[in-house]
Amino acid sequence: MQRFIVLTLNGLTEGSIYAAMALALVMIWRATQVVNFAQGAMAMFTTYLALFSLERGAPYWMAFLVALLCGLLLGGVIERVLVRPVESAPPLNIVILTLGVLLVLEAVAPMIFGGQIRSFPAAFSIVGIKLGSLQVPFSAFDLFTLASVVFLMVLLLLLFQKTDLGLRMRASAFNAEVSRLLGIRVGRMLTLGWALASLVGALSGLLIAPTLLLYPTYMDQVLVFGFTGAILGGLDSPPGAVVGGLAMGFSLSYVGGYFGSDLETVGALVILVAVLMVRPRGLFTLRAQRVV
Amino acid sequence: MLEITNLTVAYGPIVALDNVSFSVADGSITAVLGANGAGKTTLVRTISGLVRSRAGSVRLDGRDISRLAPEAIARLGIGHVPEGRGVLAELTVEENLRLGGLSRADRADRQAALSEAYELFMPLAQRRHLPAATLSGGERQMLSIARALAARPRVLLLDEPSLGLAGRVLTQIMARIKQLVEDRKLSVLLIEQNARSALSVADDAVVLSLGRIVAHDRAQRLASEEGLRHAYLGF
Amino acid sequence: MAIRLARWPSRTTPTLGRHLALAVGAAILLLLLSSQIGAYDDYNLAEVAIFVIAVAGLNVLTGVNGQLSLGHGALMAIGAAARLRGPYLAGATLALAVGLPQIATRYSHVFGGEEGLTVTPPGPPDWLGADFPPERWMAWIAIAAALVTIVLLANLLQSSVGRSFKAVRDHEAAAALAGIDVARTQVHAFVVSSACAGLAGSLFAYWSGLTAPAGFGVALSLQLLSAIVIGGLGSLSGAVWGSIILVIIPALTGGLASSLSLASSVANNLPLAIYGSVLVLAMLLVPNGIDGGLRRLLVLARTRWTGAPSTHKGVVDWDDPSGG
Repeated sequence: MQRFIVLTLNGLTEGSIYAAMALALVMIWRATQVVNFAQGAMAMFTTYLALFSLERGAPYWMAFLVALLCGLLLGGVIERVLVRPVESAPPLNIVILTLGVLLVLEAVAPMIFGGQIRSFPAAFSIVGIKLGSLQVPFSAFDLFTLASVVFLMVLLLLLFQKTDLGLRMRASAFNAEVSRLLGIRVGRMLTLGWALASLVGALSGLLIAPTLLLYPTYMDQVLVFGFTGAILGGLDSPPGAVVGGLAMGFSLSYVGGYFGSDLETVGALVILVAVLMVRPRGLFTLRAQRVV
Repeated sequence: MLEITNLTVAYGPIVALDNVSFSVADGSITAVLGANGAGKTTLVRTISGLVRSRAGSVRLDGRDISRLAPEAIARLGIGHVPEGRGVLAELTVEENLRLGGLSRADRADRQAALSEAYELFMPLAQRRHLPAATLSGGERQMLSIARALAARPRVLLLDEPSLGLAGRVLTQIMARIKQLVEDRKLSVLLIEQNARSALSVADDAVVLSLGRIVAHDRAQRLASEEGLRHAYLGF
Repeated sequence: MAIRLARWPSRTTPTLGRHLALAVGAAILLLLLSSQIGAYDDYNLAEVAIFVIAVAGLNVLTGVNGQLSLGHGALMAIGAAARLRGPYLAGATLALAVGLPQIATRYSHVFGGEEGLTVTPPGPPDWLGADFPPERWMAWIAIAAALVTIVLLANLLQSSVGRSFKAVRDHEAAAALAGIDVARTQVHAFVVSSACAGLAGSLFAYWSGLTAPAGFGVALSLQLLSAIVIGGLGSLSGAVWGSIILVIIPALTGGLASSLSLASSVANNLPLAIYGSVLVLAMLLVPNGIDGGLRRLLVLARTRWTGAPSTHKGVVDWDDPSGG
């Protein structure tokens, strides 16, 4: 039973990080119908920038902020400069383009920051919290991870549901032509969508770095798990992305804990295939099938 | 005033509009009539910037808008109710209407636009918090028109507004638009297949056939021309 | 829909002859070429030929049949492939590509674990002489296999099966209405593609002398995918171009990086950076791939020299007999 609790709490923390990555992918998919394979590498790069700032004496939270803002900027620039010119190209071309961006980032990062494995500091203690005499397998940093992901998601929810800007962004994602007829600057909204998504991705990179350690490809598996979570939830659905990401966290944790960590991915794969057999377009997709 | 001069549009080798010229005066309704494929929808899509013209110009109060982006044209006060699928089905009815009023700076003004729309279109008020996907065809058309009106346009492009609307509702909407034409000097370009009803509300009318203007006159006079009616208007 | 019409024998027979003649011509040229170059270049030539097999196979699946796979093949065993669409298929196969090497590592008594299994490549036969370079023999085997694959695929795609592949890619609903079993066609494309991947994989093992799970991971799948898009989606000549690029860029950039005296962190990653940039630039500059770009140049040149516009607009389908 105690083992189960440990694994559940661990799954919750890691799941929230996968949920953030899944949400980033879903936001970009909704805005531009692109699966952004460079999302993980972008988060890796911004986390290196945070480490770079830390090493030059910046306070921790300043470095954190630098990474998030650079994520925002990087996402916007990539959309505007690289994705916009190919927006009407076949989907596979855009996939290859984002793969190219991934390779460039993963090659340039070690050129600038060095290729060796680096440790990345956690904002809070990673030792389990003490409740009286009982030590819970849940650290202050775990709590921070969970809280910051939830906080960012609530902010995004408010932005999209309660503000005019969010309304414009949603309209642009659903129907660019009608939105333009209503005077919405759709191009700017899509750039902003990429920027915000990349900020969410950057957060996931910062939060998992203390656990995984920092090296040029450390986000690859987070991208795969996040992508799997997004697929699980349905690529069109932000709540689906969150649920899918959490489900990935729990299942990876249980499979790893009970069957051995070398079977984690296989277990996740089995779940994914099982869900897709029943619902080929994910759990949360309500909309009619997109006619490609 | 909306002036269209020598407008030519082609899709590859197919010429959709051939040297079309006419103008819509402030506070007047011009009907554009013609059979399927005559170029009516291409005309409004070109005016609102969705289709690029090959030659000629579109001017709003003397300013050439034919090279502007659709969003810029919309911001100048040209509202376009597209044929059929103009509603954002994933958003609620109210969100759709809010999108119409977004270009207005004043918050009170936006609220006024909303209540005005609900007053005119009662069925929408009852469903304000439901996704537009749940609306019937006619209700979607109402929403699309109400959303365009909420932007307080100076020029309104209506592409087949009668599609899916019951006769009584259509009469009601057209009465409201007529009132706006008189009170606020709104200019309307009305695309219709149903020539008889269009001619009954319009001041002027243009008849398109295979991309060319074959008749351009006062609406009343066109309605009484037997030969033209038989050849192009089908009534 | 010309789906059933393609069974006309009068049309397929001359095509087969033409394909065979082309293949024999190519074989003679390549054998001459391989005898003139050094062992290292022969080694690269063999690699290109092996990639041609895998890339052409993947192109049948992705370019001709319109399915995107990042982990190639094994999902079919679970029977799910035919039901998944676009990014969903991509996601499932990506997870598979990450998961499979783990299985191979776990059951190491069968697969040899992370170290993999060593493979002894067959040496050149005695009648070629004792000092015949083994690299050249490897190149000959790979070239022969690649040419046979290309001829078989070219004929397959011109048959009714190939036409149904394309019909399904272009419009699933219409294909179904025309009497094509969509799911079955997609599984067929998967089978053809997997057979090519299997052939290429075994040759690859001979070529490198080793087969290890890590060598067949996501990176390889992504490389193959980028090769079909850079070469030209849905085109067999594009598969050849893409494979050449796949081998040449690392070879060139590796040489470049070691010839410049750079810090090791830069030199080690320069090839990858250049490869990534080539992918990005190719998508921005030649969206139809090298094959599409060349065809466009050809059309332009024809228009300029003869003054008459070409009958072909844009990209010509690679297997269009009149356009080849």
